[in-house]
Amino acid sequence: MFEKFIDWEKNRHKYAKDWKKRTGGKVVGYFCTYVPEEILYAGGILPVRILGSHEPQDITEPYIFGMFCPFCRDCLAQGLQGRYDYLDGIMISQSCLHIRQAFTSWQKHIPVDFDYYLYMPNKVQSKRAYPYLRGEIADFKKAVEEWTGKEIRDSEIDRAIEIYNKNRRLMKNLYEFRKEDNPKLTGLEAMEVVISNQMTDKEEHNKALEEVLKNLPERDLNRETGVRLMIIGSEDDDTEFIKMVESIGATFVVDDHCTGTRYFWNEVIPEEDRLMALAKRYIDRIPCPSKDWEDRLRIPHILNLAKEFKVDGAIIIQQKFCDPHELDIPAIKKALEENGIPTLFLEFDVTVPIGQFKIRCEAFFEMFMEEDLF
Amino acid sequence: MEKEYWKWKEYNWKDEDIDWKTGDIISAGVDVGSVSSQAVIMVDGKLFAYSNMRTGSDSPESARKAMDWALENTGLQLKDIQYVVGTGYGRVNVPFANRTITEIACHARGANFMYGPTIRTIIDMGGQDCKAIHCDERGKVTNFLMNDKCAAGTGRGMEVFADLLSVPIEDVGRMSFEVDEEPEPVSSTCVVFAKSEATGLLRKGWHKNKVLAAYCSAMAHRIVTLLERIGVEKDFCITGGIAKNIGVVKRLQKELGVDILETTYDTQIAGALGAALFAKALIEKSRK
Repeated sequence: MFEKFIDWEKNRHKYAKDWKKRTGGKVVGYFCTYVPEEILYAGGILPVRILGSHEPQDITEPYIFGMFCPFCRDCLAQGLQGRYDYLDGIMISQSCLHIRQAFTSWQKHIPVDFDYYLYMPNKVQSKRAYPYLRGEIADFKKAVEEWTGKEIRDSEIDRAIEIYNKNRRLMKNLYEFRKEDNPKLTGLEAMEVVISNQMTDKEEHNKALEEVLKNLPERDLNRETGVRLMIIGSEDDDTEFIKMVESIGATFVVDDHCTGTRYFWNEVIPEEDRLMALAKRYIDRIPCPSKDWEDRLRIPHILNLAKEFKVDGAIIIQQKFCDPHELDIPAIKKALEENGIPTLFLEFDVTVPIGQFKIRCEAFFEMFMEEDLF
Repeated sequence: MEKEYWKWKEYNWKDEDIDWKTGDIISAGVDVGSVSSQAVIMVDGKLFAYSNMRTGSDSPESARKAMDWALENTGLQLKDIQYVVGTGYGRVNVPFANRTITEIACHARGANFMYGPTIRTIIDMGGQDCKAIHCDERGKVTNFLMNDKCAAGTGRGMEVFADLLSVPIEDVGRMSFEVDEEPEPVSSTCVVFAKSEATGLLRKGWHKNKVLAAYCSAMAHRIVTLLERIGVEKDFCITGGIAKNIGVVKRLQKELGVDILETTYDTQIAGALGAALFAKALIEKSRK
């Protein structure tokens, strides 16, 4: 049922190259989900998120600081290895310094036709954040127009917003099926859908989602759900880890990742000033920990997800050396545990030590095991 | 051949007073660890026989050997055992196990049996990792923390030191106290770094006992930092091979300021013992 999404996710480069051939359009790689993709899409550009490949590498050593997170190094490695050689442009919105260095190093060592750094304010809770970001998005729009030599009309922005919003709604509908006592899809399948979402044309993705949503109510996964898990943390596209966890008596029913719910949870609320509508959406979205201050707004959201999706336990996972997450995790852990949700903390690297993670996960699940063995 | 100082003695034991033939439930646990393997056989929930051996390169073979040795001279055969639980690093490679349970759950269960229901915090100091475990009065895990991804400050590290200093592993703890004054701990428990630091100290003229003291002390300190992350709730005990090394245990007790409970049981069998207790519970469950 999810073959198409898996194919897109596994063969992402082929998809993008084919798309280019098919449409004659440009492809822009982006480094962070704070990028207002709607502007690119309105300009006829395919935005694709740059992700790593989870293969050990040493190619990035001269180009990025070794103690920056494995994810940003893995992303840069893809560029240095020429795997994104079809990109016409790259861009980032300010989030954390690590991924920004991957961007600036890419700018310098793998030059492309168009590159753009969008200053997304860090203090999204400031009352001046809306007009500020609106201005930045206006500049960005202008830069895209100059690059493509084509004006982006309001009608085009409206269409982009509509398609993106539809995608967000469909994604939420998909996640609804994970609330059931026997979820209609595994965490692995959900991950394939949400990752592929970030590298395909939303119109196509919507079509595939509608198809799946039509058939899902009849689906019987025919597997033990086991411990209902939530996964919380940094960027995470590690399908191997999800697969391993779901093979030892658990099912992921929801996530809080920028590669997951944080990407699609909030819609754009249309208003006459389109750029302001976009600015508000990106300011008000479920925040990344690099922006979630001074109030930690993510915590009530996470607790709410845990309740809605009937979560038994949470795996909190972060990219090694990820300072923003490191700062938030103790507070998140405390909040969950105070609400009766046990947590397991793990740390990602480019590749995960499956055996060592497995023992930790198994022991964690055994905390929920048969009471009659005692 | 040169003497291998790290090689601790393998052994087996049985309770001569128990006649397994009169027993109703015969259960067993096999703990295939990264360094050592144990098999424990229980009769009606009483410890009947066990073995303790080094794990070879072949996990299924190590499991079989440990079990055969535990069975030795008991008159029991493998087929007489009604349920076997496999645990430890090689738990999936115990060919005759009916089920696997992690060593974290098994150590908590085993410690509950060995030290009694007041135990709340266990440090399992194994061959290649170290686990801090919290449990309830039934020996059910309530929380745990494992050390990071290397063998620093574990049994294997101690073996490397025994070999480096030509001190039989069983004597390391005692000799580490035969020093004029307690030295500063070595600055890293990383086996590779600590080994080169120790070589430097020996060259500087340090007596080997003092080097041992510095290493035991570093290991104790490392465990304290692990424990501080999870918190120590009383009563507190240690399982695993390092529990037999007083050089680490006494220094740990001093730094932590918490009493470490003692037991007459062999601390190395805690995992296999817990597994055998789970096996017993599973037999009883199947009869219901």
